[in-house]
Amino acid sequence: MAAIPDRAQNRRSHYVNLVLYKVYAELRAESARTYVGFLWWIVDPVLSMAVYYGVFALLLDRGGAGFVPFLFVGLVTFRWLNMAIAHGATAIRENGNLMRQVYLPGIVFPAVAVLTDTVKFAVVFGLLLGFLWISGYPVAIPYLALPVLLGVELLLIAAVASMLASVMPFVPDLEIILSNSFRILFFVSGIFFSISSVPERYQLYLRLNPIASLIEAFRAVLLENQWPAWTPVLWIAALSVAGIALGVRQIARYDRVYPKLT
Amino acid sequence: MDSATLLSLRNVGVSFPRVRPGRGFRRQRDAFWALKDVSFDLYEGEALGVIGRNGAGKTTLMRLLAGILVPDRGTFTSSGVRSSLLSLNVGMVPHLSGRENIVLSGMLLGLERRQILDCMDAIIAFAELEEFIDDPVSTYSSGMKARLGFATAFQIDPDVLLIDEVLGVGDAAFAEKSSGVLREKIRSHKTVVLVSHNAQRIRNLCDRAVWLDKGVTRAEGSTDEVITQYSDFLEESSRSGRR
Repeated sequence: MAAIPDRAQNRRSHYVNLVLYKVYAELRAESARTYVGFLWWIVDPVLSMAVYYGVFALLLDRGGAGFVPFLFVGLVTFRWLNMAIAHGATAIRENGNLMRQVYLPGIVFPAVAVLTDTVKFAVVFGLLLGFLWISGYPVAIPYLALPVLLGVELLLIAAVASMLASVMPFVPDLEIILSNSFRILFFVSGIFFSISSVPERYQLYLRLNPIASLIEAFRAVLLENQWPAWTPVLWIAALSVAGIALGVRQIARYDRVYPKLT
Repeated sequence: MDSATLLSLRNVGVSFPRVRPGRGFRRQRDAFWALKDVSFDLYEGEALGVIGRNGAGKTTLMRLLAGILVPDRGTFTSSGVRSSLLSLNVGMVPHLSGRENIVLSGMLLGLERRQILDCMDAIIAFAELEEFIDDPVSTYSSGMKARLGFATAFQIDPDVLLIDEVLGVGDAAFAEKSSGVLREKIRSHKTVVLVSHNAQRIRNLCDRAVWLDKGVTRAEGSTDEVITQYSDFLEESSRSGRR
């Protein structure tokens, strides 16, 4: 067996390819692990949507006709953020063993986690769009804003995930704080109520939460045929880019410290 | 540092944060120096043996040479060479097939996907896994996993190859085959650092040796010299231990 020369000169493009292959491998492994495989990416969120639908629309009799699409847009976009940040934030800590065997830039791990959840989200989001069309919400010109909104949410996820991932190995306690924060966030992000329906003096505070603003923007486009309010969206994008820069820099700074932490 | 020196360590120390249970629920935090004072040079084309007892800091030293860790004190100078640790089964995922794991593990070790695909057949043949290569690795026996891991890792060809005790793996026949090709590689390869607590193995394979004890280099020089000192030291310490 002849050994081959190591020609992987261009490290950056190598790491990009590595991230992409690892995303593929994660998705493959995850679907191979269960009996019905990747169907779980659909069944799992649909089940959780069914639970909320049952509680809010049937038991509490809230909202009326447009409530189900209203709820689903909020749930699907929030779930993407929740899952991707939760997995991305712990990615470096969980790959300590790998980082002790071979040098890898730490950013590889949160990137893989975020992209893996993004692929799963894409499947569910496609289903959501289909559901909306069937329910009589037509595709209109403001749909052009959709790629921008999706891009901005991805930036937001990447920013929070990379910043948390950089400190999580030092302070594992953050994982508990994070899961509790998401529980609170779930109730204040306007998933099953409209922020305009709460007393006015609280609205400003609720809108400081970026995911609440993004959910409102998605609803404007998908349910009301309107352009989103651009000011909050642009603010979120700008702050997220700054957050990514900070997170990436911190991770690069501690690349060779992470392997020392258990 | 002259042109033939690839890596050079001067009074290098590496510390790890350590948390120990204190009184009650309190915890004590301090630093543990796995390497305290390490100095030696690695020259182009040589096979350097690193010998020492358990806990001498051999694994930490290898991680330092591989670029996984950086020194917390002292100086570590590199002439810009790429060095990699020969590690088996890096990042392998049980639910993926042997073939997919070869690609994944190879990429993690720094090989391009194209390179791995080019020698896929050779890897599979060497691992003797033709029949099972498309089955999930979770169904493999430990011997099959070891063969897959060795055949994949053996493909890396960095400027400096770092080997930490892994010579023969798998069952008796494969252990002989794998240690055979590895010996050949060590003898023909440009530059190798081999870590072992086995003096005989270092004597057989290496041109020069370094003796590491409790994070300190106790000797550097020709293999015979260093091993003689090391053996004397072992005898001495076992005698004083018996007394």
